[in-house]
Amino acid sequence: MKILVIVRQTPDTEAKIQANSDGNGIKTDDIKWILNPFDEYAVEEAVQIKEKTGAEVVILTVGADRSVDALRQALAMGGDSGVHIKDESFADMDPYALGKVIGSKIKALGDIDLIFAGKKWIDEESSQVPIQVAEEIGIPQATLASKVEVDDASKTVKVTSVIEGGEEVRELKFPALITVEQGINEPRYASLPGIMKAKKKPCEEVGPDGINGDEIGISGEALGAAGSRISVNSIEIPTISRSLKVLDGRAEAVQASADLAKLLREEAKII
Amino acid sequence: MSEIWVLVDKAQDVVRNVTYEGLAAALKLKEKNGATVCAIYVGDNAGAIEADLGKYGAEKFYKVENPALSDFNPSLYATALSEVIKKHNPDIVIGGNTLKNQDYLPRVASRTSAGLSLDSIDVDINSSSALEIKKYKYSGKSIATIAFHDVKPMIATVRLNAFKPIEGSGSPEVIAESVELPADENYKVVETKIIPKERPELTEADKIVSGGRGMANGENFQIVYDLADSIGAGAGASRAAVDSGWVPYEMQVGQTGKVVSPNLYVAVGISGSVQHYAGMGSSKVIVAINKDPDAPIFQKCDYGICGDLFDILPALTDEIKKLG
Repeated sequence: MKILVIVRQTPDTEAKIQANSDGNGIKTDDIKWILNPFDEYAVEEAVQIKEKTGAEVVILTVGADRSVDALRQALAMGGDSGVHIKDESFADMDPYALGKVIGSKIKALGDIDLIFAGKKWIDEESSQVPIQVAEEIGIPQATLASKVEVDDASKTVKVTSVIEGGEEVRELKFPALITVEQGINEPRYASLPGIMKAKKKPCEEVGPDGINGDEIGISGEALGAAGSRISVNSIEIPTISRSLKVLDGRAEAVQASADLAKLLREEAKII
Repeated sequence: MSEIWVLVDKAQDVVRNVTYEGLAAALKLKEKNGATVCAIYVGDNAGAIEADLGKYGAEKFYKVENPALSDFNPSLYATALSEVIKKHNPDIVIGGNTLKNQDYLPRVASRTSAGLSLDSIDVDINSSSALEIKKYKYSGKSIATIAFHDVKPMIATVRLNAFKPIEGSGSPEVIAESVELPADENYKVVETKIIPKERPELTEADKIVSGGRGMANGENFQIVYDLADSIGAGAGASRAAVDSGWVPYEMQVGQTGKVVSPNLYVAVGISGSVQHYAGMGSSKVIVAINKDPDAPIFQKCDYGICGDLFDILPALTDEIKKLG
């Protein structure tokens, strides 16, 4: 069995986000980059299946040179090899173009049985790319998995998914794509030997030449922003001024509570 | 005449409010481009809902019913909607940012070569006559203005509670469409379980009370639930409380949990880290209860009480009940 995990490098959750001088992106100079926290669950799930079945785990990412660090972290957690789609021309792709490029590369890799991804990219606030990858490859998907049971013999996977108001059990035939819900497992920390080993694991670098643009209807120069359907015009940092009315309830808890209830009713008109 | 379509979302036999919120977004766009506002239902049985849709602004109602759509299969739903889009060529398609729509609209976008942006907090038509939306990026840390290129359709979902339904009167012209759906051998729904929830879902809640490290254990969350229930709020938690195993992951608010923007957010025993604030900083009114006068949350709230939450929370619940 062969499993592929799509990962993304995102700014650290501690990072202060500031608009860049063009106003349509963020300042990246002082940002620490991490593996998207939700992707850790996807990598862990794949590695646990590998430990049970001996499956091979391939990690794939799209992004600038620095993205290789996220790839290496996933390899240190137990991935076997990496695919890094990187080129300046890919930098401004929207989810539509990204889904096509990633899907096209996975098709070229061939013989993948299962694809895992995190439920959301914390930078884009978006969950759509993995689904567009599944569509591009022409395979079924189950999102927000809280439980995954693989049956390699019958080439099926049973997925328990979070749905509105409850949960649903779905059975998918290989190949299939699954996005995992937070808390499906406890992602391991990469061990020091794991990190050392990860540096030596094979990692394929893919440039524009490695993507069959004709197949996905996005030709050569249009692979980047020009092949996209949407673009970011501006980024603003919201500033909400707060009224900061803090009461001292250390001595008179009941009085402070009564005052707060009154403020919420009469001033904020919120309860 | 160009059209704006709004996806109908139903729970059992009732049209969900998110549909009317979508219609409100479409009415805002109509003011700019004069398009016809249409509701579209994709599923196994629409029922008699056209009067409700008309009341909230739908001038036309496309009905795509097929028994194969009784279970939710993202691929089949995508086929059904894509076929009808290709036939009628709407300029814009709007849906609520529900899990279901997030699950199949990406496929629709790929099949109709459309742009898609999820979870918009505002919509507009720009000077190039294209759809332009605002959405959060990097959780609540920034707001991006995103313009669609001149490729139709332009598909967007709108965040729950971001638009207020506009009540009017009207009765839509009903257009029934049929689609052929091949059997899908690759995807099967085995079981659907509806799990009754005691409180509103965080992403839909109008008010939220969350507990953090200061709660000290899981049992103590009862006083958070009591306050939440007294105002009809959802109950959330900080990452610290979730990671300690006091409450389940689904309650986590923050950059690595749920991103929420209710009208009222009460943070109890939560210091107010950058990550937590990124998940709730866009709330309309923020209330903080914390014993540490130097907690960062007191610099980012509208109201607060500095004091022992175990004294204040029960007292606050009582005082709110007294107000009636």
